[in-house]
Amino acid sequence: MIDHDIIVIGGGLAGLRAAIEAYKLGADVAVISKVYPVRSHSGAAQGGINASLGSDDSWESHAFDTVKGSDYLADQDTVEVLCKEAPERVIEMENWGCNFSRQKDGTIAQRPFGGAGFPRTCFAGDRTGHNLLHTLYEQVLRAGIKVYHEWLVIKLDVDNGRCTGLIAMNLADSEIEAFRAKATILATGGYGRIYQRSTNAIINRGFGISLAYNAGVPLEDMEFVQFHPTTLWGTNILITEGARGEGGYLYNKDHERFMERYAKEAMELAPRDIVARAIQKEIDEGRGFPEGYVHLDLTHLGKQKINERLPGIRQISIDFAGIDPVKEPIPVQPGQHYSMGGVTSDKDGRTPMQGLYAVGECACISVHGANRLGGNSLLDTVVFGRRAGINAAEDVRSRLWPDEDGLLEACRQEEIRISGMIGGEGENFASIRDELQLIMQEHVGVFRNKKGLEHALDRIRKLKKRASGLRVQSKATVFNFELMNALELQGMLELGHVIVLGALAREESRGAHYRTDHLERDDENWLKHTLAYKGDEPLLEYKEVNIGRFTPQRREY
Amino acid sequence: MVKLTIRRQDENAIWYDTFDVEERPGMTVLEALFRIQEKQDGSLCFRYSCRGAVCGSCAMLINRKPGLACRTQLSDARTEVVSESEKEDVLLKHSNKDEDKYEILVEPLPNLKVIRDLIVDMDHFFRLVDSIEPWIAAPEDAGGQQTLMEPALQMQIEKYTNCILCATCHGSCPAAERDGEYLGPAALAKAWRFFLDPRNGEEGAEKIVSGVDSEKGVWGCDVVYRCVAVCPKKVPPTSAILKFRDELK
Repeated sequence: MIDHDIIVIGGGLAGLRAAIEAYKLGADVAVISKVYPVRSHSGAAQGGINASLGSDDSWESHAFDTVKGSDYLADQDTVEVLCKEAPERVIEMENWGCNFSRQKDGTIAQRPFGGAGFPRTCFAGDRTGHNLLHTLYEQVLRAGIKVYHEWLVIKLDVDNGRCTGLIAMNLADSEIEAFRAKATILATGGYGRIYQRSTNAIINRGFGISLAYNAGVPLEDMEFVQFHPTTLWGTNILITEGARGEGGYLYNKDHERFMERYAKEAMELAPRDIVARAIQKEIDEGRGFPEGYVHLDLTHLGKQKINERLPGIRQISIDFAGIDPVKEPIPVQPGQHYSMGGVTSDKDGRTPMQGLYAVGECACISVHGANRLGGNSLLDTVVFGRRAGINAAEDVRSRLWPDEDGLLEACRQEEIRISGMIGGEGENFASIRDELQLIMQEHVGVFRNKKGLEHALDRIRKLKKRASGLRVQSKATVFNFELMNALELQGMLELGHVIVLGALAREESRGAHYRTDHLERDDENWLKHTLAYKGDEPLLEYKEVNIGRFTPQRREY
Repeated sequence: MVKLTIRRQDENAIWYDTFDVEERPGMTVLEALFRIQEKQDGSLCFRYSCRGAVCGSCAMLINRKPGLACRTQLSDARTEVVSESEKEDVLLKHSNKDEDKYEILVEPLPNLKVIRDLIVDMDHFFRLVDSIEPWIAAPEDAGGQQTLMEPALQMQIEKYTNCILCATCHGSCPAAERDGEYLGPAALAKAWRFFLDPRNGEEGAEKIVSGVDSEKGVWGCDVVYRCVAVCPKKVPPTSAILKFRDELK
């Protein structure tokens, strides 16, 4: 048994920021992650982080853009926190060494992003996530915070309604260990890889979210899945919104700047849901290129600007599509990108379960509502990561250590469960996973309808049955990734089930959830959050949206 | 079809396995490894995360050259001529004859201990990098003001902040091969990044310079630029090392 006051699960931006704050407040904090922290998906974020630093910008304006962008589903009290704290958090990251791009006067440079009324996205070239992640990791090193890397957390332990720690497997030797904690902070990121086409790292399987769900914590708004409009055709590697922010154009196969038809004012800088639907519609109606993409043209920006502002995009296009954007347009298609939904939590990262916090993409603090604006997710991680760190550190001060017996028993049971999956006759994880990804892509994507969702529901139920007989053939104890894949697949199926059921129930179109059989937003019936509780079938409940200063209105760009 | 010959290791047992993988256009070495792990041999292990050349997990030796598996196209790798290794454990004969052009040789990154198959001991690499104390020692309260920085200096620093700590440089470095305690290209490039950064202050810069002034540091480098040649992010560690040497003269 390993003891820490606070254990943070996940070593991306949200997790590291939480750990640093808890450490500063005197808590004994450790980070546990299935990869080395610098391998986290936060490092793939390209475009930037929003903060109203400009003298003619304001947090209120940032908040309005965020709420409007969310199609009024965001909780406005949490949005207020996000936007008010943004400048302080961004400047702090600058002070800690983040290598932000600069304006001529030496201040942090900002670029326009979709759905924003001001160029408020601070950036470090097109490697903003990478720079932020390395900066936070450097501060974790400086503090000497303990990191358990390459450990897979397989269960949250709950005693009397309180999270008492976790059970984890050391991937280096497959040993299973109990970790006792007075508070646990989930910061495990999104679930992009339950879709066939995703910008996400391969490790993003939403396993952390499923851990909370299995422990009895409800998931919120899981039907809201963001599809990024511009992912590289074929591999779906992200092509940042910054490419459009810097002036990139979208063209169909007839060389029409088709955004004119969908968002006359904002054009390519309309919010992501609108641009993603526009591109998908062009493709579906035969105006895309035959292989299923449109063109993102940067050639008119010139080599110097591309090299200065979008060097990573240039490299990715050359490496993964054989296209140099200085000379040719980039082939792009929409792909899954971000999970607006997640483990329900409040503005301090508290979940309904005592002792358990959730922050970052795995959480639904509901600052993004039905559609997240670009540049707000990196901000979300550092604002709410810090707040969870503060609150967890306060929380553990007066707490006694949880009882050991429950944790040790849970550890034994997990050992039995996992050894039972190894060897014998049964199906391999890969075919079930491939089918899940295809179902989600085809029926729970940019466009949805009742028939497709019912079909998806039926197939996921069958996949869950098949997965109960899942077997792992490799008996390796050192880095048995077949075992890890099998464990994580079970969580992926749970999440798919929740997403489909929530999407089927929500008979309206709002933000990223677009029903071709219910085209309008329906505030009368659906201005509410979905909560899903674990059952044989997920149990759906609803809760009110916190509306503040911005009254819902029709969303036009 | 592409043939991947992979160096396997389990404790002290070392052997080579060959797998046939059906090639699709645009397929990378990493995708081929997944195909093998999922359909042919679930025990094969290798690290991965982003599959987009930004996280640095999948560094390995491909046709005897250190690189990222996710960034290496099968179509490029299978037509390469593989040089004979000077080491005795080579059992592969590659030539530029046509019949050999569908083979790719995959081995773990050199200069780090192999844990199993293609997974090497990265703790050793990170310990070297961390030993230069790679961080800005910002004061507890910096007053809530951003530090102003010339765009030109920012771009100079960027060359080095682009490092993803994949260790391909370490795997190509002759000094790291002969001396396990040599700080290595990644650590020294990072040291230069923190030396350049005005946020570190004079005291910080002096500390960094004294930390690299040894045979384990900038004086151990052979200046053969292999690290610069293999870096997937175009970070130039050798330039950093030479600039440090100038500082120390």
